[in-house]
Amino acid sequence: MTDFSIMEQYEFHVTTQGLELVERAEDPQSSGGGTGALAALGGAMVARSAKGALTTLNRNRNRSRNRNRNRNRNRNRNRNRNRAEFGTQDDLGIQEPWEERAKLYELRAEWMDLPMPLPPSLPELREQAVDLLKKQVLLARPQFAMRREEILNEADLELSRYLRPYGIETHGGYEATIHLMLVVLALTDEIGLYYKARWNVPRPNQIEPRLRPFLAAPAHASYHSNHAFQSFAIAFVMSRIVPEHPGSTQLFLSARRIAENREWAGVHYACDTEAGHMLARMILPVLEKVLEKNMLAAQAEWF
Amino acid sequence: MRPYSIKRKQDALWHLIALGTLTKAHRPDGWSPDDICKPARVAMIDTSVAMDHPNLSAAIRRDLAFDLFSTRLGAFPGLPEQKEIGDLGLGDAQALVAGLPGCKALLCELMARLAPDQPPQMGTLQPAASPVFSGHGTAIAGLIGARPARVPYSQAHIDGPADGQLPLPYCGADPTCEIVPISTNFDADPEQMILAFLYAELVRADVIVLPRGIEDPFRTAPQLHAIDFLGQPLGELTAPCPIPEAQRELWSELAELILKISHRRPVICAAGNAHEEFGIYPANLASEDNGVISVGALNAKGWPSSYSPEEGLTVWAPSNDSEQFDSGEVRLNPERLAEIRYGVPPVNDNHKYSAFGIISTDVPGPGGYVATPFDMPEREEGLWEYGSYFCDFGGTSAACAIVAGFMALGRGLGQIPADADGIAAKAWLLSKCQPVRPELPNVMVPHLHAMPFEPSDPDEPDEP
Repeated sequence: MTDFSIMEQYEFHVTTQGLELVERAEDPQSSGGGTGALAALGGAMVARSAKGALTTLNRNRNRSRNRNRNRNRNRNRNRNRNRAEFGTQDDLGIQEPWEERAKLYELRAEWMDLPMPLPPSLPELREQAVDLLKKQVLLARPQFAMRREEILNEADLELSRYLRPYGIETHGGYEATIHLMLVVLALTDEIGLYYKARWNVPRPNQIEPRLRPFLAAPAHASYHSNHAFQSFAIAFVMSRIVPEHPGSTQLFLSARRIAENREWAGVHYACDTEAGHMLARMILPVLEKVLEKNMLAAQAEWF
Repeated sequence: MRPYSIKRKQDALWHLIALGTLTKAHRPDGWSPDDICKPARVAMIDTSVAMDHPNLSAAIRRDLAFDLFSTRLGAFPGLPEQKEIGDLGLGDAQALVAGLPGCKALLCELMARLAPDQPPQMGTLQPAASPVFSGHGTAIAGLIGARPARVPYSQAHIDGPADGQLPLPYCGADPTCEIVPISTNFDADPEQMILAFLYAELVRADVIVLPRGIEDPFRTAPQLHAIDFLGQPLGELTAPCPIPEAQRELWSELAELILKISHRRPVICAAGNAHEEFGIYPANLASEDNGVISVGALNAKGWPSSYSPEEGLTVWAPSNDSEQFDSGEVRLNPERLAEIRYGVPPVNDNHKYSAFGIISTDVPGPGGYVATPFDMPEREEGLWEYGSYFCDFGGTSAACAIVAGFMALGRGLGQIPADADGIAAKAWLLSKCQPVRPELPNVMVPHLHAMPFEPSDPDEPDEP
């Protein structure tokens, strides 16, 4: 049953100082009656107004602004610090995330046996390789110059494609967000290799010799695509941090483009892309635990 | 710096007084919790919710909370200890998917997943429902159905007398309803949204609320698909990835499904926060012959919020405002004009600006929208102060959540009959609306007693 007596005795006001709890009438349940007990609520932070305000807290207005992310997508862009544009190999250097890796392995049982589907059979892979041959023919045409350039740029998973949907590619003030993305890339690279080794699926050009990959096929197995897995993992993590930001959905599209570019390059089947997406979706609850502090730090840059 | 008005305090529940659900003394206005025949059920398709929030714990149906973020066919984050989900008391949706083969196949999979002997989660695959990253859903749930609560100081980990209770005098538009959170990710994925709507149908929600958009590649910006460029629709040419035919059909089926469901129960959608023409998808599906309700935002002065779409909406409801400084409108906070100094035209709409926001529930402790105001990290458990229970919210998300709670209250009080379909429920809502101003006859605002909107932040009288 809804207890409206609380509403009759107290109310909240919003003031320039924050949320103010105001007592309308004496309430024996609240504090044992005395004002001294109320003052203990927030120590030095507590104020008591002449009109009966009990506490005046939550002073940091910057932390409690409205949340209309959609129309404030690039808020806080004008930070004082300037940052060099990310995207070069040098910028990808972070300290080895040993704490996060340690936590990841503490939770090993939660991610070592996720219900991934078995990879397609060899005949099914040969069928999928036909589509890759078609892409190979198209990629050589002049109108696909932009895609060729993208494939080359994305070979080393540079960050611009993840930052651009949020409009923070060339703006300072998002160091924790960028750091988070780099840590996600590092952890998912390792998780991905574990799953790849389980099935050891041959690369497309091993199945279909007429396929001439645009990039050198990496030395590890094909299923799933780690580019897909890592890119979608960043998208799912950001989807938890700033779900209402329009860039969050755009990031999924960007991740899909990155993943499909690996098919155009002839190094992955379409099923690798889908499996990478699937694994990224399933790993999110584990990443949320492992990276909680990193994610909170990143979130603080947006609120 | 958030531009709270320095001229007047804001009642944290001004939006409920404006809707006529509460009196200025914060008592139910003309109704009583005892009048509720049966609590209305609100299915909330959004992010996860901090289910243990003291103002929300009695409102959330933990047994029905459903997560599609990480699990394709859904997991039950509120049932971590149970081996089986048990009988959920589901309804029948077979007739709904007739003629929608993709939806029919998904319903078949979903029904198998929801069998009583199924586990809450699939093996080691966990739901993505950590309260820490549940800010949006927690704020939405609070506006719909938060209850006033007391929390022991010891539970809040706030310093206070051992036997004392901290009062939290906050409530949603319908503090008697029950909320079924259906959490999703923000991937452009029609299958996930179809499953979410089917689940909302299966749990027999009285009201479905969607305080977000859906990134349908064909319906989000339909005008781009009408532009022929180089012999192809511009929307197709600029798509980051080609849309497979099967997915194209699923997007179409999703749109049809939403309309079909809206005939059974109202589907309340946020209209968007960027002054979109006719609102975002699927709010832009709203029309007279369906039960989709597109909700715009109205500020505390009684003007449409500067960011709110204006055309094609069903109703407007209280929310916050934002500054606008472009050729469409100049609406700046008069209290900070001195900061702007240059370029403010003498004829402007600054008088329309309201600094009032919408207060709602927030993730307690770390996470959510409000972090600690102290110069130290949040406690890993407990709070530094009660402000962490609440946040300042807004947008048409807030407005549509408030309308969802309002309609839930109408259903709970029996004003919307139990057998009313989505269109009848929408008609009830419209019967409660009045134009906000004579010069804005299309801007209709609901009031429980069909009274005109009364500004909570009225204009100051002109100085002599």
